[in-house]
Amino acid sequence: MTMRMDRRAFVLGASASLGALALGAPAVLGQAKPRVVVVGGGAGGATAAKYIARDSQGAIEVTLVEPLRAYVTCFHSNLFLGGYRSLASITHGYDKLAAAHGVKLNHQMASAIDREKKQVVLADGNRLDYDRLILAPGIDLKYDSVPGWGQAHEQTMPHAWKPGAQTQLLADRLKAVPDGGVIVMIAPPNPYRCPPGPYERVSMMAHQLKSSGRGKAKIVVLDPKETFSKQGLFQEGWEKHYPGMVEWLDPKIHNGIKSVDPATNTVTTGFETYKNCALVNVIPAQTAGKIALDAGLANQSGFCPINPENMQSTMDAGIHVLGDASIAGDMPKSAFSANSQAKVAAMTVRGELTAARTFPARYTNTCWSLIETDDAVKVGGRYEPKDGKIAAAETFVSKTGESADLRKATQEENLGWYAGITSDIFG
Amino acid sequence: MNRPCAFTTALILAAGLARAQAAGALGGDVALGEHLSAECVTCHQLSGKAVGAIPPIVGWATDQFVAVMRSYRAKERDNPVMQTITGGLSDEDLAALAAFFGRLTPVAN
Repeated sequence: MTMRMDRRAFVLGASASLGALALGAPAVLGQAKPRVVVVGGGAGGATAAKYIARDSQGAIEVTLVEPLRAYVTCFHSNLFLGGYRSLASITHGYDKLAAAHGVKLNHQMASAIDREKKQVVLADGNRLDYDRLILAPGIDLKYDSVPGWGQAHEQTMPHAWKPGAQTQLLADRLKAVPDGGVIVMIAPPNPYRCPPGPYERVSMMAHQLKSSGRGKAKIVVLDPKETFSKQGLFQEGWEKHYPGMVEWLDPKIHNGIKSVDPATNTVTTGFETYKNCALVNVIPAQTAGKIALDAGLANQSGFCPINPENMQSTMDAGIHVLGDASIAGDMPKSAFSANSQAKVAAMTVRGELTAARTFPARYTNTCWSLIETDDAVKVGGRYEPKDGKIAAAETFVSKTGESADLRKATQEENLGWYAGITSDIFG
Repeated sequence: MNRPCAFTTALILAAGLARAQAAGALGGDVALGEHLSAECVTCHQLSGKAVGAIPPIVGWATDQFVAVMRSYRAKERDNPVMQTITGGLSDEDLAALAAFFGRLTPVAN
């Protein structure tokens, strides 16, 4: 990459001049070097680590704590399921964060946060001191939210709602579904990671089945919600591309999920029993990552309230909570949202620790979903702090009946976005 | 990445910051532009590389950059992602973005 001017020189220059002119020396400037610890190397955490390290030009020590060395993105994992992407193409390392931006990598699990001492406790018992903590642990699954199903059953009835081995497992199981087989998906209740995700997954499953001569297979979606994201668009697409293959049932129609039996691949609702299913995909209810709950940073909803001006936890001024773990008002739980929130938090932290120039928070999100080859739709918006939450300022969604050309262009945009955001996060 | 030498950087800082912050004829506040650019680079590559349907936006002339973004903001051009994002950008913001991205040189695609 060649630039006529070092972009960071402006940040540094602006920081220095503003700091000298107006803001005075911040409290932590007296110590050796302010320390930021980032817990979680997904779209939120890795973005925050990169932006703080890059834009502070070494003035802040940034440590990213993430057990994985290779991170599989949840976004576009449905495209892997549909056969449009390889697993390798959605797997990313952290080498550039370290080499190009000076982020220190610590590849182990963070087991706890000691808020009083401002330390992160690592799995090996060591502790990392922080002046600011960026907490981006993503979600944890509520294994007790579907009767009869639990963590012991995630191999037989995969969730594939955390990326990696589960993603591959679901793809393998889908390949084994016979023509005429029945797949049952138990969709999650709100709020959950990636609102259109279950329905894009249904589309990609149907695509795989249909394109491999298994058009008599059927996908039944048992949903605890009465409506879902991009509903009209997905249902139009299912009718058009996969007639008779997808049956979506709202809670009034199925009368609730009474139990599942992983031993016999059976799902029982208030009205019906699905026996000998070829595949049961259980996507359970979700909470913020356990480390956030254990640290007392979540409220009764199971997610973490934040200040919409800066993503700072309302429970602890030294901690910013990003992404799926946070209560981000009108913003959906998406990688795009987490990436956007990370930039606000990174700017705030640099402002507090090095007197870097700060600006009012602004947020954006777009979620693309692929329904069938060259048929993609999108939903998105622009958000701002308002009345104590992150509120939508302007939103958009694709329309039913759009031309094939527009839908194809939308998918090309989707692929370009993936390259862009992964370069922004990991590059 | 090629970085300018320290001397060049010092010259640029000395001469450039006052201009940049003045948001004058040169086209706007580069630091503001860098801040705002964080929204753009979620899709558009900072390197200026074109990927999929996402076009490069670095190295454009200021007038052209501002004119295109204004046409999205006025909903004359029809991509809803761009319409929505530019809907939150003032003329000053657009000038700042044009100044920031205009100073970068795209890689060969």
